[in-house]
Amino acid sequence: MEKRVIRRGQEELKKYVLDARLCTGCGACIDLCPYHRSHRGKTAVLFPCVVDEGRCFAYCPKVDVDLDMVSRHLFGRPYDGNPLGSYQSISATRAGGRLKNVASQAGGVVSALMYFALEKRYVSGAVLTDRRGLLPLPRFVTVPQDVLACAASKYTAAPTLSALNQAVEKGHRNIGLVGTPCQVLAAALMSSNPLKADDCVNPFGLVIGLFCTWAIDFRLFEPFLAGRIEIDRIRKIDIPPPPSEIMEVFGDSGTKLEIPLNEIRELVPNGCSYCIDMTSEFSDLSVGVMEGHPDMNTLIIRTDRGRRIVEEAAQEGYLTLSALPEENREHLIWAAGNKKKRGLSKARGEGMINTQGNETKSYLRISAEILEGLTA
Amino acid sequence: MSYLTDEKEGASCLVMGNEAIVRGALEAGVNVASGYPGTPSSEIIENLSKVAKEPNLYVEWSVNEKVALEVAAAASFSRLRALCVMKQNGVNVASDFLLHLAGSGTRGGFVMVTCDDPGALSSVNEGESRFFARLLEIPLLEPGNFQEAKDMTKWAFDLSEELRQIVVVRSVTRMSHASGNITYGRLPAEKRRAEFRFDGFALDPDEGIIISAPVAWKHQQQQEKIRKAREIFEGCPFNTYEGPERPDLLLITSSACYLYSREAVNVLGAEDRVGLLKMGTTWPLPPKLLAKHLSRTDKVMIVEEVLPFLEENVKILAAEQAAEIGVKTFYGKNDGTIPMTGEMNPDLVIAALSSVLGIDYVPVPEEYGREAQASVIARAPNREQVFCPGCPHRASFFSIHNALEMDNRQGFVCGDIGCYTMAIGSTGFNTLKTLHSMGSGAGIASGFGKLGQFGMDQPILAVCGDSTFYHAVIPALVNAVHNRSNITLVVLDNSGTAMTGFQPHPGLDHNVLGEAVPPIDIARICEGIGARVEIRDPFDLEGTRETLNELIEDTSGVKVLIMRKACALSPQRKNKKDYTVHVDETICIGEECGCGRFCTRIFGCPGLIWNAEKQKAEIDEVICVGCGVCADICPQGAIKREEVA
Repeated sequence: MEKRVIRRGQEELKKYVLDARLCTGCGACIDLCPYHRSHRGKTAVLFPCVVDEGRCFAYCPKVDVDLDMVSRHLFGRPYDGNPLGSYQSISATRAGGRLKNVASQAGGVVSALMYFALEKRYVSGAVLTDRRGLLPLPRFVTVPQDVLACAASKYTAAPTLSALNQAVEKGHRNIGLVGTPCQVLAAALMSSNPLKADDCVNPFGLVIGLFCTWAIDFRLFEPFLAGRIEIDRIRKIDIPPPPSEIMEVFGDSGTKLEIPLNEIRELVPNGCSYCIDMTSEFSDLSVGVMEGHPDMNTLIIRTDRGRRIVEEAAQEGYLTLSALPEENREHLIWAAGNKKKRGLSKARGEGMINTQGNETKSYLRISAEILEGLTA
Repeated sequence: MSYLTDEKEGASCLVMGNEAIVRGALEAGVNVASGYPGTPSSEIIENLSKVAKEPNLYVEWSVNEKVALEVAAAASFSRLRALCVMKQNGVNVASDFLLHLAGSGTRGGFVMVTCDDPGALSSVNEGESRFFARLLEIPLLEPGNFQEAKDMTKWAFDLSEELRQIVVVRSVTRMSHASGNITYGRLPAEKRRAEFRFDGFALDPDEGIIISAPVAWKHQQQQEKIRKAREIFEGCPFNTYEGPERPDLLLITSSACYLYSREAVNVLGAEDRVGLLKMGTTWPLPPKLLAKHLSRTDKVMIVEEVLPFLEENVKILAAEQAAEIGVKTFYGKNDGTIPMTGEMNPDLVIAALSSVLGIDYVPVPEEYGREAQASVIARAPNREQVFCPGCPHRASFFSIHNALEMDNRQGFVCGDIGCYTMAIGSTGFNTLKTLHSMGSGAGIASGFGKLGQFGMDQPILAVCGDSTFYHAVIPALVNAVHNRSNITLVVLDNSGTAMTGFQPHPGLDHNVLGEAVPPIDIARICEGIGARVEIRDPFDLEGTRETLNELIEDTSGVKVLIMRKACALSPQRKNKKDYTVHVDETICIGEECGCGRFCTRIFGCPGLIWNAEKQKAEIDEVICVGCGVCADICPQGAIKREEVA
């Protein structure tokens, strides 16, 4: 009997993600082949590919994502819709004395952790996001010092995973990744061997996920800021905690531009509005700004691998850890739950959720029961 | 020396139609010949250039057809004999000057040869140059065989001098490019001296000033010349009749269609039923001659390519003389007996004749036809027109295509005429979206580039070849800069007029006579006009692509990217491999995810072949020219290249 080929290739990726405007430009499908390229934040399909089952489709976090499969693969338990995902513990944290004066965001914990992991060779290299002006640039670094050059939030949607694909192609393993929730989900898909390849190796040594409510489309952001500030000389971008409702853009000569967030929301890629993950649920460790403490981070420890690195980094003075106040935890759950509900309702309303488990290609596969619970 | 000059009077030679025209011009003692390359006309100037060592012959490739005609006109004005050669669409380019020239008149014999391309075998149009003769009121001759191609060309010079008017000789692809035996005439010993006289009475045709004004008077003079031509054509030996005194059908034809018609009559065995009137002088038609032949019968068929030019003119004469010759029934293009597009051939004439004459004729038995067609479909490989192995255009369009896709704003390219026209298809990654006349890509782009105020935000590109750049792009580029149009022009500089056979152009350091000339630098011209200019080697794929994206994103105005790499067939690259190339089978992943046969399925250089049995790519060493570009496109690095020492 002839094997029935269920096509999960470029054509389907194009139809269900790119043409459906779900792509956030995460880079998961870039640099796997000569067909897809990322340019100025946009994913481009250069030529039609005829491979029936492609990694581009398999790695994409915006099509046919089986959350239950990913959860079982990473955490050994089913996806239950918890607003913060699976985790072991949550802490308040900031970079320790070993890493002073880094131009990072909030507590500098992401840079500190990846610096430490690289220095101790828990990872052989790290996939990070640098920027030139406002343009995010994927980077693969192998020297701890280079981690610091990539510190601080970029806000623009970045094809970071293209650097990962390049590093894997060159034979690197045990790679560290700092990514947004969509990138971290793609990384989880990659490590789950979705194409059931015989020679598949999980390339990740440590995945640090970032808290994220949305990203900004570089191609809209650049013309938006042009004329208001010298783009090549932006030192830092920040969104202070609520209720400020502004984005701050700092120039290198001490200038500061304040932009109302409702203007910024106009620049968010369409794909972000379907996202149900605020805290990068499929990482080893997730890090975000701590509400009410602009110099601190919230740290979610999800895996044993993540926990060991955090504990060791704290012992060696790269991090300081403290208990997260209960009201912060509650607020985080509330905010993450809201994002989940918002994204799911939108996706469900547009018929993008597959609860049947059949071959229908849509954004997410999720059990009807969980879906009901989350959107109730 | 050439067989076109060394053979003596009376010698019989097998020559191409274009060579027959050359011999005719030489027998007429042509002094100056100019033209712009274009199939099927190019061999005329090329062959003349080979014999131009003589002091009484000057030959040039001009920058375009209009200038070519002006250059030749200067010779005629100086009482020399002048020849100007172009293909059908070249006449459109030259037509503005031609209009004025027809009004001013000429002095030395001046012949314009236009080689039309019915069926567009090597054109993107099947334009009809014959209508210019009627429109601009100048005489038109059409040779009906190879001997006539020579004899008529020679005679055209005499006619031109007699009328003091330019004479058009129109050939077609099958006349220019087919070969036949001709008998040579005498080469003249006369040497003419050039002198331009202008200080006689202003209106004197030989010693006055040469202008088309006073228009009413000059126009009258011009029409007098046409009347005179009509008189001469009444007795012209190039108009021939063969057939019975009273045929059932009079078939009037001209040019290559005369040969098809003769064959058709012969195949049908209808020699005693069909009278064949071949017209060599198709404008103006001689009315008395026509009346004489039209009187033979009531049924008239006109066979010609492409439009019903002869047909309509015959009908006018027939109507004017109806009282004398009677009412005729016409068969031709207007009633659908003969197709109004494409080339003619004997089969089409046979079909038309057999239907009009009621002859049962089955050209191919039905069964055989079916089998033959099935066999062709089954056995002939599915091939598209492709760029040659090692062609720089493939690399250039790969980068242009990729830059536009990566830019992701529905950018597009306006093209024009050259080998790069093929980029409308898969060999150029379907990159061209408009395609018209020489240089029109740049002009159209200039217009697209001004549509921003109507909401257009697509990047606009144009491409042109190096020869085309000089021919017709410069004014468009000036226009774009002057009007602040935001476009990117890509000049595909392959160091010669490659498509028509490497004729030199103003960018090169030699002319058609092999003399050293100052090369005119495209980059400096563009800079002088005010464009931002970049130069890249298209074989540096990623560098070229990056530059293109940068230029497309630069909204400051007109940008020019010169892609500089000689044509793979050019004298400087032909038979010289830069690399030996092979595929490492242990690395090639063929159809797997990560490649999907990228080199053979997408890049498509004919030097790459897919071994379906092994599921690996291979290099076809016979046709690979060793450019090495495929090594850069292989996603696995399986294609290896080694520099040839």
